[in-house]
Amino acid sequence: MSAEAETATRTYRPPMGAGWWTRKGHYFWYMVREFTALPLALWLLWLLYEIQRAGRGPSGYYPPNSTAFVIFSAICLPFALYHSFTFLKLAGVILRVKLLDKPLASGVIVATMFGTWLVASVVVGAVLIGFGR
Amino acid sequence: MADKRITIRATRFDPEKDKSPRLQSYDIPFSDDSMVVLDALNYIKSHVDGSLSYRWSCRMGICGSCGMTVNGTPKLTCSAFLRDYWPRSVTVTPLNNFPIVRDLVVDMEDFMHKLKSIKPWIIRKQEIPLGAGEHRQTMDQIGEFRQFSQCINCMLCYAACPVYGLDNEFLGPAAIALARRYNLDSRDQGTKERLPMIAHPDGIWECSFVGECSVVCPKGVDPAKAIQQTKLDTTMRFVLPYGNRE
Ligand code: SF4
Ligand code: FES
Repeated sequence: MSAEAETATRTYRPPMGAGWWTRKGHYFWYMVREFTALPLALWLLWLLYEIQRAGRGPSGYYPPNSTAFVIFSAICLPFALYHSFTFLKLAGVILRVKLLDKPLASGVIVATMFGTWLVASVVVGAVLIGFGR
Repeated sequence: MADKRITIRATRFDPEKDKSPRLQSYDIPFSDDSMVVLDALNYIKSHVDGSLSYRWSCRMGICGSCGMTVNGTPKLTCSAFLRDYWPRSVTVTPLNNFPIVRDLVVDMEDFMHKLKSIKPWIIRKQEIPLGAGEHRQTMDQIGEFRQFSQCINCMLCYAACPVYGLDNEFLGPAAIALARRYNLDSRDQGTKERLPMIAHPDGIWECSFVGECSVVCPKGVDPAKAIQQTKLDTTMRFVLPYGNRE
């Protein structure tokens, strides 16, 4: 028997069940965070489709007037907000920014990210609604 | 308070006899509020059942060898106080995500191999001669990597990481944090040598930022932070024209 096979028979590897994410609150919220990307992706696909239609001229583009799109957007909004919030909250952990050779406090980085998010949202919203008119 | 007692349930697994692990209960005296889970295991081994197997050494949170799962959470058993669990019972099982060798002892081979693979030592293109003196570092330069150098190789982060649990090929939290520790060291010139392991599909990109590794780390290493920062740095190296410089 090879050394590897011998080790394999001597140890026990506990199986990782499909319900591992229910073992801890932290795992559960991680799964929620990941799943919120799904409605977001669907919404973007729909938007891409509408943008493609807009290629035929403004008359082909109608999302703000489409009840289905507005309802779907309203459903997606809390998911998008939750996903963006959790993502931006972590920015202070990920980004290392130095100002005058001193590292910027993570709180400042997070606040800047949220500020940028707000401005970007207003600009994108204005463009979408404006173009739809 | 001398007759206060606590129930410890510990995993038993004899590879020669058992097909799978089982839990065994021990009712022992909880004589002193400063008792930790490791003390309870030592009591069982000394007074109840000498065959119980587990690893430990320093008993002061330094050697990293006493990691086990305590009531579902990876812990250093020498730092887990019984008073935080009593009057509930305490269930001690081996670290998750590793093969069990016997009772509470897991096979560390995979972890050791991964640690070594990221070359956790200072790599120089050309060594300066001893007579030329030491490599000097400012406090700021040390501050760059200090947090990531606190790791005691206890493997709690691997036990907490579902990504590693689902795919053992993942390089894992501590190894990546250690790689970052050396990459950020002003004396080191080995980033390029570590890149193949770190930027490999089984390296940083397999991490989906669950973050539990940083929650359980007893030394505040924050391996999740090390991984995400490495993702950003590696991307910058790739994207920026001057990113590949040493
Ligand atoms: S990073 Fe923390 S949890 Fe992981 S092995 Fe090092 S000390 Fe232990
Ligand atoms: S016995 Fe050394 S860390 Fe617990």
